[in-house]
Amino acid sequence: MAPIVAIENVVKEYHLGKIVVPALRGVTLNVEQGEFISIAGPSGSGKTTLLNLIGCVDTATSGQVSVAGQNTMGLNDRALTDLRLNTLGFIFQSFNLVGVLSVFQNVEFPLLLQRKLNKTERAKRVNEVLEQVGLATHTKHRPSELSGGQRQRVAIARALVTQPKIVLADEPTANLDSVTGQQIIDLMRDLNARQGTTFIFSTHDAKVMSHANAVIRIADGKILDRVTPQEAARAAAGIH
Amino acid sequence: MARLALLFQIAVRNLFASKMNLIIGFIMLAGTALVIVGGALFDSLNDSMSRSVIGSVAGHLQIYSSQSKDELSLFGDFGGQESDLEPITDFPAVKAQLEELPHVRMVVPMGMGTAMVTSGNIIDLTLADLRGKLRQQAEGKGSPTLAAEVDSMKSHVREMARLIRQDMIAARVISTQSAQQEQGLETIDRVLSDAFWADFDRAPLEGMEFLENKLAQLLTDGDWLVLRYTGTDLDAFKKAFDRMELVEGTMPPRGQRGLLIPKFYYEELFKVKVARRLDLLKEAVEVNQKLLAEDPDLQRRVKELPVLTRDIMMQLDPLKQRTLVTQLQQALGSEEKDAEKLLKQLLTVNDQNLMERHRLFYELVAPKVELYRLRVGDTVSLQSASGGSGYMSSTNVKLWGTFQFQGLEKSPLAGVTSLIDLVSFQDLYGYLTPEKRAEIQALQKETGAQQVAREDAEAALFGGGAALVAEGESANIDEAAELGTQERAAPRTTYTEEDISGSVVLNAAVMLDDSRFLADSQRSLQGLIEEKGLQLKVMNWQQAAGFLGQLTLVAKMVLYVAVFIIFVVAIVIINNAMMMATMQRVREIGTLRAIGSRKGFILSMILVETAVLGAAFGALGALLGAGIMRWLGQSGIPASNEQLYFFFSGPRLFPALGVGNVIAGLTVVLVVSAISTLYPAYLATRVSPVNAMQAAEE
Repeated sequence: MAPIVAIENVVKEYHLGKIVVPALRGVTLNVEQGEFISIAGPSGSGKTTLLNLIGCVDTATSGQVSVAGQNTMGLNDRALTDLRLNTLGFIFQSFNLVGVLSVFQNVEFPLLLQRKLNKTERAKRVNEVLEQVGLATHTKHRPSELSGGQRQRVAIARALVTQPKIVLADEPTANLDSVTGQQIIDLMRDLNARQGTTFIFSTHDAKVMSHANAVIRIADGKILDRVTPQEAARAAAGIH
Repeated sequence: MARLALLFQIAVRNLFASKMNLIIGFIMLAGTALVIVGGALFDSLNDSMSRSVIGSVAGHLQIYSSQSKDELSLFGDFGGQESDLEPITDFPAVKAQLEELPHVRMVVPMGMGTAMVTSGNIIDLTLADLRGKLRQQAEGKGSPTLAAEVDSMKSHVREMARLIRQDMIAARVISTQSAQQEQGLETIDRVLSDAFWADFDRAPLEGMEFLENKLAQLLTDGDWLVLRYTGTDLDAFKKAFDRMELVEGTMPPRGQRGLLIPKFYYEELFKVKVARRLDLLKEAVEVNQKLLAEDPDLQRRVKELPVLTRDIMMQLDPLKQRTLVTQLQQALGSEEKDAEKLLKQLLTVNDQNLMERHRLFYELVAPKVELYRLRVGDTVSLQSASGGSGYMSSTNVKLWGTFQFQGLEKSPLAGVTSLIDLVSFQDLYGYLTPEKRAEIQALQKETGAQQVAREDAEAALFGGGAALVAEGESANIDEAAELGTQERAAPRTTYTEEDISGSVVLNAAVMLDDSRFLADSQRSLQGLIEEKGLQLKVMNWQQAAGFLGQLTLVAKMVLYVAVFIIFVVAIVIINNAMMMATMQRVREIGTLRAIGSRKGFILSMILVETAVLGAAFGALGALLGAGIMRWLGQSGIPASNEQLYFFFSGPRLFPALGVGNVIAGLTVVLVVSAISTLYPAYLATRVSPVNAMQAAEE
């Protein structure tokens, strides 16, 4: 089976005035369907840039990026947007919920954009997902009335509600205490195991990494290697 | 549908989410209130002014001859020049046709002009009085009281002569002496001499002649005043303009010549200055709540007041002076024995004593003098150069009374034109009736007068080698023989209905039974003119009001420009605030884009938010505007000066709010919001989904 994400020799450069800042310098990476992968590396190593390219929110300077079998390099904004809406789910470090909407409405939002389900079907789907993340009783709350962990669960529910093939999470536990962070990772892991959704998340927390199938280590815009969490933990201990 | 509902929900909930929205909302609120209040005020002003113009002279529509050189302008042009109009041909027929039209209540014939009128001379009045008393004595009605009065008046004339002498001596200081002045001084010295009065007692009528012919002309207080008049069928006018009411006197009886002067104009021009000034000061303090001590203009008038005593002194004979001195001494608690000095004391006013002094003036001084230089019942001589013949025409007409328009009592604009009967108007207009024309032609024939074009005049008079026409010779003119043969008919003081209907008419006011039919009626009138080929033009009151009508247009322009400027500023401010608000929401917008919102969705989101913001605060602004208008409508806006009385159609403007004003206010605010949000909305669509991630890394 073809990999769900195929990245080949990708270069990404940012232009700050006349200075060219390389963020990724020729990255090649394949992710298989159902994997639970962590991208690890220090700040500025290119983790987020790599996630942005996979998440179709940014485009590569050169190279090939293929997501769910689609080559994203030739797609226009509208096609990329639709790809994000239907194939991808996003979980952000700062949760990024819409403050003026309720928990239910935040989760329902992507379904409204999709325009595939009617009101009843939408409600059913939203309630199911909220049940899965353990927030069935909080549908009417506003984000500001929830704890950090609860907010991230809402974000996970929002990412999953469209039943995407890939969920991308950028430092999903960075703003949470360790216990809550653990719970969030457990939840993601559980959903991955039960539904086979591919999870790709960036982190520099060794504990979080330990739950991954594999850890892609990245530094200075290049992939160092693809290792097991244990190897990654050892390497991290060695470094420190 | 669900998406739109969500957009609305986001918009409504975002209303109070950011301070920036509150700022924008406040601008929208104030803007809406401003447009509503400004628009309603302007409409009310326009409405009240239309009532003033329609109700005081214009009527709803005006017609005039299409052959006229100028356009009709009821209030004159900016220079105060009358419009040059041709008479309407066969007015009675026109009137009958117009009155057939639906909604036409009345057609009132008119003709406007300007006449010169003298304000009257105090010495003339006194001498006329004295002559009357002398006549009574001559008729054997003499009595000790009458004799005392005559004596007193004689001293009064002497006193006047003394005052005139003072003035002349004073005038000599600032101007060079002329022979005329010298002659004047001689006359006065004669009047001041005892010998003159000794002669006067022997032959009073000869003495009177000297006084009337030589002395009276030395007093130059009689001004020539410009009087704008409207010749009209006075009864029809009164019926058509039902706000007109008589203040003094009566309407001239049908068929008699007559003049009615607007009360305001009468007070302003014919009342003794010092009394008028006192009245105005009282009004400023009482009605306009001003303080004499604080208003520089009033201060100036207060200072001038004691200087104006001469008008009064001229009218006081020794008898009256003595009484006044005693009364004023008592009232003012003064021991001053000189009447003029006491008067000056009386007229030295301040905020504390003004009301009391005003009362004393009217109680003690006014009964002893003529307060008006032209009295109701007097006959005035009107002289006019305007009109059809180009010659100076004049007519004598009796002042029957003064009038005003209800609610416009204080307005000089409503009192801009006096009213005279149509026949006197025709005389002043110099209209050449067929008989007059024939008479002139006969005279031309008899004298051999020729019409010579202006450019040929010099050659005709002085050029050519023509032989001498005649030799001049000196001869005595036998006036009696010359004049005796020509019997001149005395001017008629009465006239018939035929005279009225056959009189020359320059324009006519068309009164409708309801202002709402104005546009319709103007159209049907125009239709009639075209259908029947009448040589007429029709105008609505606004056009006929000339510069006054344009004034409302100018005011409207000013309002629009002001609103435009305010809204350009508002657009800039709202636009900036929206940009800042959008910048603050970059992460939110980025997130929405990242999770699958298209650019179009973002655009609609921002637009709907602005629309909701505009609608919400616009509605609040409308409420505020309506509240302000309700308050103003109840309390009214006082007319702080005389001009405003006309525009307010009364002492206070009670503005009303129309549905149109509210709709205009809300429309404007929504349009402004839409315009000012376009660029920020465009910017929002340019927010990249990457922003969702980048912000998260911070």
